[in-house]
Amino acid sequence: MNDKMKKIATGLLAGVMTLSLAACGSNNSGAGNASATNNGNGNSSGSGEKVTIELAISKSSQDSAFVAQDLLDEFEQKTNIKVNLQLLPAEQTATVLQTKLAVDEVPDLIQYNLASAITDLNLERNFEILDNEPWVGRLLNKDVLSANDHVYSFHVSQDTGMQGVVYNKDIFKELGLAIPNNYEEFLAVCEKIKASGVTPVFMPFKDNWAANIWPAAAFADWAAKNEPSLFDDINAGRKKWADVPEFATFLQQQYDVYKKGYTNTDILSDSYDMAVGKFLNKETAMMFMGDWLIVNVAEKDPSMHLGLFAIPSSEGASLGASPLGGQLFIPKKAKHMDEAKKFLEFIASKEVAQKIVDAQGYVSNFSDVTTPKLPEYKQEIVDQYITPKKTVLTTDAYMIVDRSELYRLLQDEFAGGLDPEGVLKAWDEKFSQLMKDKGVEGF
Amino acid sequence: MKISKKLYSYYLIWPALLIYSIFFVLPALTGLFYSFTDWRLDREAIKFIGFDNFERIFTDRTLLLAIKNTAIFAVVTVLGKNLLGIALAVGLNMKLKSKNILRAIFYSPSILSVLVISIVFTPMLRSDGTINRIFDAVGLHSLNQAWLTNPSIVILTVAAVSIWQHTGFQMAIYLAGLQSISKEYYEAATIDGAGSWRSFRSITIPLLLPAININLMLTLIGGLKVFSEVFVLTGGGPGNASQVVGTIILRSFGEGSWGLGTAVNTLLFAAVTIIAIPLLIFMRRKEVSE
Repeated sequence: MNDKMKKIATGLLAGVMTLSLAACGSNNSGAGNASATNNGNGNSSGSGEKVTIELAISKSSQDSAFVAQDLLDEFEQKTNIKVNLQLLPAEQTATVLQTKLAVDEVPDLIQYNLASAITDLNLERNFEILDNEPWVGRLLNKDVLSANDHVYSFHVSQDTGMQGVVYNKDIFKELGLAIPNNYEEFLAVCEKIKASGVTPVFMPFKDNWAANIWPAAAFADWAAKNEPSLFDDINAGRKKWADVPEFATFLQQQYDVYKKGYTNTDILSDSYDMAVGKFLNKETAMMFMGDWLIVNVAEKDPSMHLGLFAIPSSEGASLGASPLGGQLFIPKKAKHMDEAKKFLEFIASKEVAQKIVDAQGYVSNFSDVTTPKLPEYKQEIVDQYITPKKTVLTTDAYMIVDRSELYRLLQDEFAGGLDPEGVLKAWDEKFSQLMKDKGVEGF
Repeated sequence: MKISKKLYSYYLIWPALLIYSIFFVLPALTGLFYSFTDWRLDREAIKFIGFDNFERIFTDRTLLLAIKNTAIFAVVTVLGKNLLGIALAVGLNMKLKSKNILRAIFYSPSILSVLVISIVFTPMLRSDGTINRIFDAVGLHSLNQAWLTNPSIVILTVAAVSIWQHTGFQMAIYLAGLQSISKEYYEAATIDGAGSWRSFRSITIPLLLPAININLMLTLIGGLKVFSEVFVLTGGGPGNASQVVGTIILRSFGEGSWGLGTAVNTLLFAAVTIIAIPLLIFMRRKEVSE
């Protein structure tokens, strides 16, 4: 009986193993298909020596203007260089790239975010300095592409992701509301919106990073106005996050917006991907988010009037600017360095850059490429915040370690596990540990 | 004749052994090595740091919580999957007209991907989700919970989803075990005047022990290694409330602390081995043969 029993069990086990192997296999075959189609393309258009360069990009950025198929086709026709896309899973992008860089299995080009490249990918060690590239001389704003006084990345645009309160202008107009200038005014606005039956603020804190939009701008605004050397001190271990009592106040402010009932009820179950729908259905009037949300909503319904104002954490706060996202980088160990540089030159050429800037509504970063007429919301941001220099780089730009534990701590505040002081204390602990791991002096 | 038969079976094992060594033994050994280093992306050289990583694991509050959560998950799922599995198997081993279709129904969740399960369950477990609405509808409003966002119960919720998904698989193994028990024992027991509980206790359970052993091992090892259920349902959240050892390993890698990540992995491997092998030996001794 034992034997029979074991046979059956072994059979079942074998079945499970086959299934799990098959699962691995199906992934592989997916990749295989992709390369097969690529080869197909290569054969149809190319003759002579064709070089294929690899461009790694997060799956969430696959709509990026730099990887549009017609652009890649044009480049291939002109130069006989084929660009092969490596789409990386969105949540794993950093990990996959870290691994590729660690084992020297590097793509020739990477699309990533400059600030995150400094924290996640060891920018100086792994990436090529681009100071001497022909297009650098035409840049209007070198800073947005630079770290440590060197140009490390490429983009045709100089506008960064602006972060603040995304709001529905029509609802504000209907209720006769003005943009709040401080926290008290903001609460008053919330109260009036709530009375009209609309949820004042949508908090999608299942995605814990979304809880960081408010503090990232509020902290940076406070430091810029009151203690400009604060982040240098924090990064040198001379000061701690919990040492700034105002930070706890800012965390409390965001929590109170929820506690006072101005948000969706299930904030820890709702996720960012629901946000566009909430705005389209006019279920919510505001959200602490970046201007990319406005673009996402406009794609679905161009008649929506959304705008952005600064996080009202203190009187007359500046608008948060996240370090520019989606730049192209060339790893030092790229196998086709020259071809990768040629690709940047191609995009930087006047005609191609103009086409991209026009299509995306970017603020041009090249002296000979003109900025097109901007969408209404963007023009407002330029007029109200960028031109009068009322923007501040968010804390993301100053933290050189992985920030996800901070996001989890913020989420924990809303789950009832920590108070604002507790969040900052726990982050101090984790922060110094991460800095120590990195080998930063002072920790 | 005997020799050639033996040689044949040894030949057969080589390809498997080779693949196993390359893809399992080798990485496991390198992993063991790296768990004693400060391996990071931003370090040029890898330094041997002895037991520092392990020391840190046992002083990290989140990791201790993760170990606790893993233990809770393992115990709850081992009990749930096996008790329910036996109950279902005994029930569906009876002469029921619908037993085949019922077996298929109970088994079906275990062929679904965890991702699908999470997509189905996440909206159901919201505080305004289906499960709470059902409680409302039957007047059990007090049982309403924020199943996936209340830090104190979230790990139990994940365990419950896992039990729901895998019990059918355990049931299949128990069914196989039950069907190999000869009917004669039960007939003899009935003649001797034993009731159904008595024959279950004195015949079914002892003769089912090989199946129980296999299931205990499978569920225990699966429980200690839990990752995907937690990852897709809660991502370890809210905050760190449902972190388990598996998700902590991912977290360490995300933070760039690869040495630490492999150390946690080594620890998990050791824990599984230390718990599973003695248990296996203990349970084996209890097995009886017909």
